[in-house]
Amino acid sequence: MIARLLSSRGPIVAILLLAVALALPFLSDSTYLRHLMILVFIYGIVAASWDVTLGYTGIFNFAHTAFFGLGVYATGLLAKLGGLDPWASMLLGSVLVAGIAALVAWPVVRLQGIYVVLVTFAFSQLALQFVISQSDLTGGTQGLVRIPTIQLPGYNFLRDYKLGYYYVGLALLGLSVLGLQILVRSDFGLSLRALRDNEDYARARGIPVARQRLKALVASAFVAGLAGGFYAVYLRVASPEVFSFATTSLILSMVLVGGVGTLWGPVLAAVVLTLGSEALANVRGLDEGRHMLVAVAMILALRFLPGGLISALLPRRGAPDRAARPTVQGPTTP
Amino acid sequence: MTLDALATVLVSGLVMGSVYALMASGLSLVWSTLGIFNFAHGALMTLGAYLAWTLAGSGVLGLPPWIAMLVAVALVAAVGVLLERLLIRPFYGHRAMLLVTVMTTLAATVFLSKGIQLVWGPRLKELPALAPGNVSILGTSISAQEALIVGVAPIVLGALWAFLRFSSTGRGIRAVGQNPQAAQLIGIDVPRLFAIAFALAAALAALTGILIGSVRLVTPSLGDEPLIKALIIVIFGGLGSMAGTIWAAYLIGLAEALLVFTIGIYWAPSTLFLLLILVLVLRPQGLMGKVVR
Repeated sequence: MIARLLSSRGPIVAILLLAVALALPFLSDSTYLRHLMILVFIYGIVAASWDVTLGYTGIFNFAHTAFFGLGVYATGLLAKLGGLDPWASMLLGSVLVAGIAALVAWPVVRLQGIYVVLVTFAFSQLALQFVISQSDLTGGTQGLVRIPTIQLPGYNFLRDYKLGYYYVGLALLGLSVLGLQILVRSDFGLSLRALRDNEDYARARGIPVARQRLKALVASAFVAGLAGGFYAVYLRVASPEVFSFATTSLILSMVLVGGVGTLWGPVLAAVVLTLGSEALANVRGLDEGRHMLVAVAMILALRFLPGGLISALLPRRGAPDRAARPTVQGPTTP
Repeated sequence: MTLDALATVLVSGLVMGSVYALMASGLSLVWSTLGIFNFAHGALMTLGAYLAWTLAGSGVLGLPPWIAMLVAVALVAAVGVLLERLLIRPFYGHRAMLLVTVMTTLAATVFLSKGIQLVWGPRLKELPALAPGNVSILGTSISAQEALIVGVAPIVLGALWAFLRFSSTGRGIRAVGQNPQAAQLIGIDVPRLFAIAFALAAALAALTGILIGSVRLVTPSLGDEPLIKALIIVIFGGLGSMAGTIWAAYLIGLAEALLVFTIGIYWAPSTLFLLLILVLVLRPQGLMGKVVR
């Protein structure tokens, strides 16, 4: 496994990026920059885990932002109303999200093409309506406020200009991407890609289609739920905005701009798009307009950069490898 | 349930069903012609309502409501042509056209709805009613506007059916939907018909949006919730079948009215979704649909 991980150029880039990320708080003690980087870590995790279902498995999963949002609310509610320790809430919240994902996946993995999009999309909008309607519990459109924050014995996370959150976020990102990397390179991950590239042949070779897809959905939802949990204890508010079309398209644009079927691409794009989008939010009159720009970026990426940023930055060695690196695609095309 | 309550449920179900039928028929038309699902349909509804507001009496230009509605529908149809040109046409023949166009139309939704918020602001707008006053159906009093919706929907849907069945353009659209290559071979201008189908669906969206806006208020999120209902409807009805979709629209409208009456407005959407999941587990191609391509 280690040898296989080291055999590509990915780890070198990863280690470089990690070094920069580790050193960043020492280069600048700007709270705002740290805040932006923490958002990058969170969105990076969500985008990379989405790519496991969308890119590697070829499931047309449009419920991923909802899994993230449910993670935010599950952790927030467990910590605030359940009185659970926030660390435990994050973990339990993600497990809950994974359970919900399994329930949604049950019909979804048996469907084809557009029906997968429709059901996952309808699910995510119903999750939003549910959160808004249960306002006694969730605060409705006002959102859930004053979520307790994570603590370590002897250390207050509110100190040191967000330094603690920064490193927890970075660690979560590192662990998530490493975990997902191991997942997609395992035999399990291979079977997922086999399903995506040739479902009939994979089935004929004895791969249980529905079960593998269900596992992939549950795994990626768990990671998204974890990111949501960290988002809740970091920002200390949960707002229905996390379920919106705008959030979905922001994270989807990270997957597309970064490159479908890679893990580091979406993380890289999370850096560019989060910093860009937040910088524009400070320009007067662009608060709504920046979402429009993200939408345009997404369309342009689909049109002109089908392999994503990563294909432009990291030219792959051989032609066969390039062929194995997919652009946007799915199990069945009409 | 008393007879009065039953009448109330029936009438409100009929109103909702009519709105859903108009909306879902546009989605179904685009699907069966171009083979894509247009997520921007809800945003086009909202755009139609705002344009009508700007054109009509309460807005800037002060046109009579009927004229304002027709102009707004025509403008949104033009936006539809533009969207097809920019978001759909570049991806014809793409091996994942279905998924890519889901994404581009999703991006269009965000672009349009944020643009609408920028132009018209977050404040609620009131569209002048096309038909003022109240009427009584089955002993239930509803606004004439709602009665108008119930009356207009079958006429519009009938006209759409006749257009697709008898006019040469409509037959061309169906031919392209069934087999684009063969249609091209016999000299049909496929891209032109794709654009016409998309524009027609956009016009239907605008009309639906204006009708909804005239019974509720016009807000930037006007089209969001109906879009979700329309998703459920096209899954129930089977996307490719226009008739199945329309039946499903009325069925879901009635079921929703019944659920709202019995278990309340908060739980009705979730219950509908659970029903949908059950249907999908038993019949993955939709209640009335055929196997998808």
